[in-house]
Amino acid sequence: MECTKCDREAVMHAAYSGNHLCEHHFRESVERRVRRRVREDDLLPSSATPEDPQTWLVGLSGGKDSVVLTQILHETFADDPRVELVALTVHEGIAGYRDKSVDACEELTADLDIAHEVVSYAEEFDVEMDDVVESDPENMAACAYCGVFRRDLLSKYAQGYEADKLLTGHNLDDEAETALMNVFEGNTEQMAKHFDASLGPFDERNAQAGMTPRAKPLRDVPEKEVALYAQLRDLPVHMAECPHSSEAFRGEIQDLLLSLEEAHPGTRHSIMAGYEELAAMAAERYRSPGDESDLNECVECGAPTTREVCRKCYLVDAVHAAD
Amino acid sequence: MHVTVEVVGEDVHEFDVEGASYADLLERVDLSPHEVSVMVDGRPVPEDQPVESEHVTVLRLVQGG
Repeated sequence: MECTKCDREAVMHAAYSGNHLCEHHFRESVERRVRRRVREDDLLPSSATPEDPQTWLVGLSGGKDSVVLTQILHETFADDPRVELVALTVHEGIAGYRDKSVDACEELTADLDIAHEVVSYAEEFDVEMDDVVESDPENMAACAYCGVFRRDLLSKYAQGYEADKLLTGHNLDDEAETALMNVFEGNTEQMAKHFDASLGPFDERNAQAGMTPRAKPLRDVPEKEVALYAQLRDLPVHMAECPHSSEAFRGEIQDLLLSLEEAHPGTRHSIMAGYEELAAMAAERYRSPGDESDLNECVECGAPTTREVCRKCYLVDAVHAAD
Repeated sequence: MHVTVEVVGEDVHEFDVEGASYADLLERVDLSPHEVSVMVDGRPVPEDQPVESEHVTVLRLVQGG
């Protein structure tokens, strides 16, 4: 089968567009979508100059998504003095699994000559996920603790680096799953938060003081294409699944989404197109007077929070109390 | 045609197929084209194409739910 755009052999079929693409045009297509998202999200504002560059902190796990994101951003902006990339890897204390993916991160950042720092739950919170799943003081899924801890460290280090943006490797499937979960849970407030946290254009978000704006430049690229891109370019990627992975509802949604996509190509794209509008409306609604969420400083760690003690400190205390 | 389908790190399956696509093979091993790469002679092939090789390797790219 020939490529839709040239006479080379196709390596993939994108049913949602009808295109068959060769390796060259497939790579170009992925890179173009990432660069278009960077432009459309206005990630690099006109105020950035070589004298006053933007610092972008990339959350680099060593999995395919964050590795592909880091590689493409590096190739796009390495020669642009208006952008400085810094990669941050979080070690959750998951023996075997995270050790190997940290190796992938170190290989990539050494290859690309990008500043890279590894931080751990052990050093920051005196907590390791392997122990948390054993004690489980709040009777929750492992991901529920881990997500809170990881977001806290990404935010804290983004502030520490005085980063202008915090970038993560969420792909189209991740975002469409989150969108469907919010719809099925009927959680319009969560849609509003999703818009303000990472989906909306920066100038339309309800930005919160003390929080680095987040963006997801891979969010137009289906998960399989991110993986195929990494495979074709032979990027250093750690492929294993987290041994504590336990988001049962997300798994059900993923199965549903993939079978819908199979029967109706383009479903993921149309979900996101409609959801972004809905999330914008929800954000507008929750911004009405009397509904504003003023942030305090956590009395334990100083992080911005709507409570007295932030969620991260609450969970860390619970884990330590259960020891 | 007799086709051997090797799912890397998992099982090897054998099928007799006529006029099937690579996507049809994936369906028979209960995998979605959205979570794997189908490889023939070490190169990815589009899943909607007719099976032309007796040896097909399936690489899991995306963790299932």
